[in-house]
Amino acid sequence: MTSAIQAEHVTFGYGRDRPVLRDVGFEVQAGTFLAIAGPNGVGKSTLINILAGLLRPQSGEILLEGANLRSCSVQDIARRVAVVRQEFIPAFGFSAIETVLMARTLHYGRLGFESGTDRELARRAMELTATTEFASRTLGSLSAGERQRVFIARGLAQNTPILLLDEPTSFLDLKHQVQIYDLLKSIQTDKGTTIVAITHDINLATQYCDQTLLLYPLGSEPVEHPSYRIGKTTEILTPEEVERAFDVRVFSAIMGNERFLIPLGARAGNSNLPGRAS
Amino acid sequence: MAVVLLVLVMLFCSLVGPQAISLKAVVSTPANSAMPSPDYEIFVRVRVPRIILAALVGAALASAGVTFQALLRNPLADPYILGISSGAGLGVILAIISGIGWTLWGRSPVAVFAFIGALGTVWLVWGIGRITGKYHVTGLLLAGVVVNAFLSAMIMFLTSIAKSQQLHATIFWLMGNMTEEDFLVLWVGGGCIVAGIVGLFFLSPQLNVISVGYHDAKSVGIPVEKIELAAFAISAFITAVAVSLSGLIGFVGLIIPHAVRLVFGPDHRQLLPLSALAGAMFLVLADTVARTIVTPAQLPVGVITAILGGPFFLILLVKYSRKVYWLA
Repeated sequence: MTSAIQAEHVTFGYGRDRPVLRDVGFEVQAGTFLAIAGPNGVGKSTLINILAGLLRPQSGEILLEGANLRSCSVQDIARRVAVVRQEFIPAFGFSAIETVLMARTLHYGRLGFESGTDRELARRAMELTATTEFASRTLGSLSAGERQRVFIARGLAQNTPILLLDEPTSFLDLKHQVQIYDLLKSIQTDKGTTIVAITHDINLATQYCDQTLLLYPLGSEPVEHPSYRIGKTTEILTPEEVERAFDVRVFSAIMGNERFLIPLGARAGNSNLPGRAS
Repeated sequence: MAVVLLVLVMLFCSLVGPQAISLKAVVSTPANSAMPSPDYEIFVRVRVPRIILAALVGAALASAGVTFQALLRNPLADPYILGISSGAGLGVILAIISGIGWTLWGRSPVAVFAFIGALGTVWLVWGIGRITGKYHVTGLLLAGVVVNAFLSAMIMFLTSIAKSQQLHATIFWLMGNMTEEDFLVLWVGGGCIVAGIVGLFFLSPQLNVISVGYHDAKSVGIPVEKIELAAFAISAFITAVAVSLSGLIGFVGLIIPHAVRLVFGPDHRQLLPLSALAGAMFLVLADTVARTIVTPAQLPVGVITAILGGPFFLILLVKYSRKVYWLA
């Protein structure tokens, strides 16, 4: 096992009075599916952007496959890591296939046109994400779930050993959420891609992700407690840790080998629920 | 295909005019003849330079429009949105009311003032936009709008204190006219514009991703800042050249990119060259109408671009609306 991502003492803040990440360090082995979880505003997207080289940490280093991002060109980074952001509708009406092919821009020939390899990679990415059937439709005419799959296909077509996803399943219905995670899992197992995905769904993370990085809000934790924890998903996403990170009460249920956590509203406090509610 | 069409349109338009010309008479005159036929004289000295100028200006404005729309990720952008028009206008009115008597190599310096005003303004706007943030195009757009408004106020102030003769010269210049009989100016301006469009074509694959988003472009390995600066500088430059050659001609830089995009899609590798050709054709036709419709008088070509272009664009919009995202 070699390490795909190493983060060392990463600190970042938006301006002086808004620290977001404080001394975050971790290592992700190649071929791992890592979930990043934590409440809103805790710095999950910021961390993804830092890992993708889109933001520079104020201090600390990021190494992708051993190469320090500070000494990598934007092209070097794009060969190592692809980013899938939350779906949106771009200003101009590009079709799904045009959008997927954009991932290959770096590899275009001298006149700026794609090669057979580029087209083949785009075609395979679209097959994997089941987006081939609407390849020539514009992004604006697709549903949010279809559009998200197109953006994932673009990430895959970049053909990088590392794939970062910023909340790939927000706005998607249950079926599409599961479909996306099934797809990511198959990419991980088939191609050995290292996948890092931000998720708000701790139960999906429990089912699919080998490891989880849980970020806690800065300031709320006791001083001796770190601002994050990383490890095997089942060891990180325990009821106690989730309650502490999200400041919410959860109900946990064991089904087979999996433990599921259900957040409880204030009204649930009086009812007698079976199982454990801490 | 489109190139052939453009050449045919240019040839046809060069034969149309208040004075009918026969192509046969033009061709049959030997170039070194001591007594060229009047047809040849009109064709070579009046029509051809005018039509070449219209084609160059149309191509420049349309390709600059495409580029600005991509860079600003805004379908409402046009080549003048970042202050080029008001900057050029200020340069022109300053040149005219200061009553300069000097000439540059025997030519009026008004165009040079327009060029400096245009580029100076757009440079200022770019600088302000950069301060507001690297990838917040809103800051750049707002800076452009405010600088435009500020300079327009200065133009209005200067027009209100200008003498009526100066005023007329300014307005006539700004409304756009296509008379340029100096072949040297035409060659230099044309060279700049063609080189600029070729340069933009080589940036067009990157413009595709940049038009989607800053982070999208960066994450697929595009040095966004460098490409943006290059595309921005080239399109501002060719717009400034076009404005100093012909004055302010509206509509071409906004409508032609949209019309081409509606029919051929948003891929800049096609969109940019096709818009350049379509813009050239459109302005050649519009100028032909402008100089023939009320002979012997000539209308400002900007009037025709809007009157012809508006309905034409609306027809396209209705016909192809299903391809546009915001109507999808």
